[in-house]
Amino acid sequence: MADKGSSMEKRWHKQTVGTDGKAPFVWLHGWGQTGASMARLADLFKADGQHTLYDLPGFGETAPLQEGAGTEDYADALAAEMKASGLGPAVIVGHSFGGRMAVQMAARHPDLVRAIIIIGGAGLKRRRSLAFRLRAFWLKLVGRMARLSDKLFGTHFREAYTQKFGSADYRNAGVLRGTFVRAVNENLTAAAKAGRAPALLIYGSEDTETPPEIGRRYEQLIPIARFELVPGFGHLDILTRGAYQCEALMRTFLEDLKNA
Amino acid sequence: MADKQVIAVIFGGRSVEHDVSVLSGLQFLEALDPGRFEGLPIYVDPLGQWWTGAALKKRSRYPLEGSETKDLSQVMLDLAAPATGRPQLIAFQKGLMGEKRVSLPFDLMVPAIHGSNGEDGTLQGMLDFAGIPYAGCRTLGSAATMNKVFTKAVARTHGIKVLPEVTFKRPPKGKFLDADTVAPALKAMEGMDFPYIVKPANLGSSVGVGKADDMDGLIAALMTAFRLDSDVIVEPFVSNLTEYNIAVRRGADGTTLTSAIERPKRDAELLDFKNKYLAGGEPGGPKLDTGPSEGMASLNRVLNPDELTDAQESFIRGSASKIFDELALAGSVRVDFLCNSETGALWFNEVNTIPGSFAYFLWEAAKEPVSFLKLTSAMVDEGFRLSANRLGQTDAGSSGATIFRRG
Repeated sequence: MADKGSSMEKRWHKQTVGTDGKAPFVWLHGWGQTGASMARLADLFKADGQHTLYDLPGFGETAPLQEGAGTEDYADALAAEMKASGLGPAVIVGHSFGGRMAVQMAARHPDLVRAIIIIGGAGLKRRRSLAFRLRAFWLKLVGRMARLSDKLFGTHFREAYTQKFGSADYRNAGVLRGTFVRAVNENLTAAAKAGRAPALLIYGSEDTETPPEIGRRYEQLIPIARFELVPGFGHLDILTRGAYQCEALMRTFLEDLKNA
Repeated sequence: MADKQVIAVIFGGRSVEHDVSVLSGLQFLEALDPGRFEGLPIYVDPLGQWWTGAALKKRSRYPLEGSETKDLSQVMLDLAAPATGRPQLIAFQKGLMGEKRVSLPFDLMVPAIHGSNGEDGTLQGMLDFAGIPYAGCRTLGSAATMNKVFTKAVARTHGIKVLPEVTFKRPPKGKFLDADTVAPALKAMEGMDFPYIVKPANLGSSVGVGKADDMDGLIAALMTAFRLDSDVIVEPFVSNLTEYNIAVRRGADGTTLTSAIERPKRDAELLDFKNKYLAGGEPGGPKLDTGPSEGMASLNRVLNPDELTDAQESFIRGSASKIFDELALAGSVRVDFLCNSETGALWFNEVNTIPGSFAYFLWEAAKEPVSFLKLTSAMVDEGFRLSANRLGQTDAGSSGATIFRRG
């Protein structure tokens, strides 16, 4: 099933399922996951398409891109890989970080994109409470002081700071730390507005990583977009026990796409 | 947009299979098409009280302990709703002016309670009585398949191969079974000697099943099984036992459809409750909000096992379809077979009208895969159809059976 992307400088590890000759689907997983996290949902569409589930660069078995690569670099690399594999225009399904890539793909490589389906997608600044913003301001200041002190006096405060205050994803990002920092600080408003592909936005009501509010704002930004709220599901379990809810919403969307 | 139909899924129950039922019920709710239906969970706790509330959809909420019911409402089923109206649940809410009666209407009920008081026709009978549409098997099929002796008798009548069996009744209080009463009864075993297998006649799910290597073991196993059921059956133990299960349902065009065949894998010699349902997880451990791939489907099972010959496969498919048709079953039903893997001999064993997780994984692995999403819609549509067909015109005037003058 799994094979290596050929002819590419950076080889993309991928899994393929489904029926050859049917409409191509490209599945992009979330931060810290691999292509396998999309398999449960992709499997439900095996009779309807030809599916490619990628390990994104730096995750699973795919080598990372250059240090500090942003989501636009990920999208460009994916576009090159899709062209090399003869894929497209495809329906691009992205979860979380993969959702950022889907938005970038629609904006930068419209010829490769038939439609985008975003499940718990990130990419817009979250609205935070004043208390949260104050705390973040202070912590950032402390972090900068720690770095300054390390530089001036050779202390090791910064690492301790990271261990104490950094998020799990940040601590575990390794070589991808630069990409991670760029991704969490990026704002895809312009990219979302630029895309012309129809978009389906699926968000779980209990999602605390990418709350439904983000999806509602994407719906306002993306010219042809449909927002769907799935009550009772969170950021990750929407892909597992929520798979049938996603399946139903996606089927309706794909049907409407055919008739459009 | 037209109003969505409210599908009430009832699970839990006063049965030994309470926990498995919770999982099946939640999975069904999660697989309902959000474009057509709205799911309404109804949880029957081990005391028999009924609850509803959005919080019930979270797996992490179970087991529900006494004080954790603040965000739930206790409900009753309205059995006396007019036939023309929607079925409803009744809840009482405390307000400033005392208790207020609140009704929660729904359109169809899906029984997801395994075992007694759910799968055995009692719940179905009550719903028929109240004129409430429901999914799955009707009263007759549910009751018939709950009794293993009766099911086997029907199978025998229709030429489906089954093992011989002897039925024992629970001895009256203060009396015990002894070898002198048990031995003569075993003559009906068609010459098949120990070891035997002992099962309660009316329970599914392998609870209370025991193996007996000799007379002492048999009496001990009988007494264990009598704690769960008043009728217990003894069958010859099939050596080199392999089990095969298959799901059956009726297609929209009326044809009988069969699913993939599964062979449950197991380590222990005997399939007991822990092996069947809890493999890979600690009993009593926290149940996390993970996917449908968890639980039933991720247990050790082989789907579409390749060791079956064409003749064996056609026996399994043919017998399963036949019993489904003869007992007029409905919904997604699982039919279980026993096999001696050395000789290849196969016997029909039993029918589960509400199998764990509705056997969705068998349909998803079928030659023409049916996703759980499609299965739930098909079961709901069939339920509406069957319930509507049941009574037709029933007012006294339509049959001329009037005594009192009308209008």
